[in-house]
Amino acid sequence: MLPFKLVRKNLLRRPLRTTLTVLSLTVAIFLICFLRTLITTLTAGVEHADSRRLAAMSSTGLFVELPLSYQQKIDAVEGVERTTKFQWFGGYYRSMKGFFAQFAIDGEAMFAMYPECEVSPEQQASFLHTRNGCIVGDALAADSKFDFRLGQTIQINSPLHPTPGNQAWDFVVCGIYHSKSPNFDNRTLFFHWEYFEETLKGEGHPPGVGVYAIRVKPDADIPAVIANVKGLFENGPQRVDCNTEAEFQRQFVTMFGNLPLFVGWIGTGVLIAIFLACVNTMIMSMREQLSEIGILKSLGFTDRSMFGLLIAQSFTLCCVGGALGLFLAWSTQAGVENLLGTSFPGYRILPGTFALAAVIAMLLGLLTGLAPAWRVAKLRCVEALRSVD
Amino acid sequence: MLVPIAYNLRSLFVRKTSLLLTVFGIGATVAIVSGILALQQGFKTMFIAGGRDDIAVFLRPGANSEGDSQFSRDRGLQLIKNVPEIAVGEHGPEASMEAYLAVLLERSGGGLTNIPLRGVQPATFEIRGDEVKIVEGRNFKPGTDEVIIGKRLVDRIQGCRIGDSVRLNTTPFVVVGVFDHVGSFGGEIWGDLDRFCATMGRYGPNRVIARLKPGTVIGAADPTKAMFSETPIPPVPGSMADRLRDDPVIPAKVMSESQYLSAQTVFLTFALISLGAMLGVVMGLAAIFTATNTMLSALAARSREIGILLAMGYRPIPIFLSFLFEAVVLGLIGGLVGCLLALPFNGIRAGTMNFQTFTEMAFAFRVTPFVLIVAVTFSLVLGLLGGAWPAWRAARMRPTQAMRRV
Repeated sequence: MLPFKLVRKNLLRRPLRTTLTVLSLTVAIFLICFLRTLITTLTAGVEHADSRRLAAMSSTGLFVELPLSYQQKIDAVEGVERTTKFQWFGGYYRSMKGFFAQFAIDGEAMFAMYPECEVSPEQQASFLHTRNGCIVGDALAADSKFDFRLGQTIQINSPLHPTPGNQAWDFVVCGIYHSKSPNFDNRTLFFHWEYFEETLKGEGHPPGVGVYAIRVKPDADIPAVIANVKGLFENGPQRVDCNTEAEFQRQFVTMFGNLPLFVGWIGTGVLIAIFLACVNTMIMSMREQLSEIGILKSLGFTDRSMFGLLIAQSFTLCCVGGALGLFLAWSTQAGVENLLGTSFPGYRILPGTFALAAVIAMLLGLLTGLAPAWRVAKLRCVEALRSVD
Repeated sequence: MLVPIAYNLRSLFVRKTSLLLTVFGIGATVAIVSGILALQQGFKTMFIAGGRDDIAVFLRPGANSEGDSQFSRDRGLQLIKNVPEIAVGEHGPEASMEAYLAVLLERSGGGLTNIPLRGVQPATFEIRGDEVKIVEGRNFKPGTDEVIIGKRLVDRIQGCRIGDSVRLNTTPFVVVGVFDHVGSFGGEIWGDLDRFCATMGRYGPNRVIARLKPGTVIGAADPTKAMFSETPIPPVPGSMADRLRDDPVIPAKVMSESQYLSAQTVFLTFALISLGAMLGVVMGLAAIFTATNTMLSALAARSREIGILLAMGYRPIPIFLSFLFEAVVLGLIGGLVGCLLALPFNGIRAGTMNFQTFTEMAFAFRVTPFVLIVAVTFSLVLGLLGGAWPAWRAARMRPTQAMRRV
């Protein structure tokens, strides 16, 4: 039998110590959720990729633009339903503090190919009819740094694509979209390709295409489509690499190199630190209970139940700390998302991350109690009774 | 009268398990913070070390980096002719047009990365002098499909050894040499400007670099400040930067190379410093809690001793200081352990994408004296904060009560 009241009383014997340990655990579990979410946010695009969408870009690198003429050729490939183009704009609002993602796009094709981007029909129509119109993500519009409103004309500077007179670009906010899926960023601005191309023609260097998105027919043989698209441009002028959307996203994640690994190291460090702190607390608390444990043992409580008593204490401690940590992570989610803003969009703690953190907290509870519990179980009554803290 | 230091030092080592656990707990926290700092120092030293003040970088107006900037070849040549401050060497002006591109290559451990490609003219080597050294093989021949590889890439990226070829679009470029540079060039691939532009469909170079005549004042505004300012920061009036900004023929943004390089990592520096600071504060709190716990338990076990000290006539303030000292020593040992844990990171090579240039940045962790000083200071603060409350409690004890407590 486990004396539950004893567990509680022992934990509350030193309220300050228990509180501090619980708070350390809270912090650690929060950090685990935070760090893990940094990684899952990077990979979110991979898991939510549309299986019918492909991406084609230069096989040489991100800096190489593809000719506009490629679109027609890709459209003609068997199995291809529709294509659309994207070009990275690289602009900022007011100063580089207001840096966020913008893309030049084909309005109609993008709405058709990306159903996860939701705009009301009126706003969509208004965008399609306004030459220098744009749509912005709801999270971007709500960001206090930008505070974009419907109908507002905003100026964006693009160091990468300056206007011929080196003035800022004007865009009219015609719509605010909402993204239904984590693979479609809700902090981006999209504007018309025609406006982009016509403005840059003045400079004498019309823009090329960064990425062609391709939607295949439902029954299409995807590997064959990929091979055919690549094959079209094998002899140049720009060789093309074509991949499924998931693979494209995965490759993008690998460009972060060792960074995810370092985040993992940090998480391990956090775990080690918190493990040591909890073991420390449990050993201190065990020492104080020695004489009582001696009494309990001499009253006939078994070694096993004394072992359980200590484990129950550490388990309770870690579960309470863990629960608070999960709560902290959950309740600060929106705040952290805003803090990271456009520099790291899409911070969202996945259910799996919460589950992982909960399991970690429980494991900590079992493991940190192990050494003191073992010692208590092995202890002889006389020794325990003799001990003076 | 102060409590003898030996008393505290000896007391610390009475409970070895507790001491060890606390020290390693603090150590892990300190190690994480120093690790992140070492990462930041790694690319900071790399970027700063590469920059020179006598080299000017010319960009298109409005551009923040060479990736943003682009000139046509004619305009680049015109610009060089147009600037009398450029030093003149044996072969004419010491100026070079450079193209900044990138190629997707595979890492040795798998995964793709965008490696910077720099198309250069022979004048680049003249300007750089001994900075750029061929350490293996030979330099590429101008006008041919040959490249040389930065030393930091050789082991980390596939197909980057002498004899391999790097395929740019439809053209294979043969690797003929390996070069070394302390700065960011050590992680780049270099080849002929015109060959790169032709194969990659570029109409011209991204920037012009030039060595300036001694004594030239560029007078550019700090590019980092300018990037984050909503209103343009004007260059020094009458300076070279001021004149070129409004030049009727080729307006250009000019700055010294060191200014240029220091502005290229501001985002990553900010991200890492923020992450380090956030982890430092949050994990520091946990470490302070641990230190407080340890000190409180030490206090409980020694209340009788404190009672005796008080009865002997020690005043509360020396007792407060002595316990605080004990906590600070605890923090310091933790800090030293943290430094020892962080030291093996020194020199570990890593690469990540620099969001500002969208290219791979190859660098190594640098556990510099600065990192160690921050680490030790941080651990002292942890000890101080963790020990304050227990020390206060010790000082406030009444001798009779303290001695009675068991």
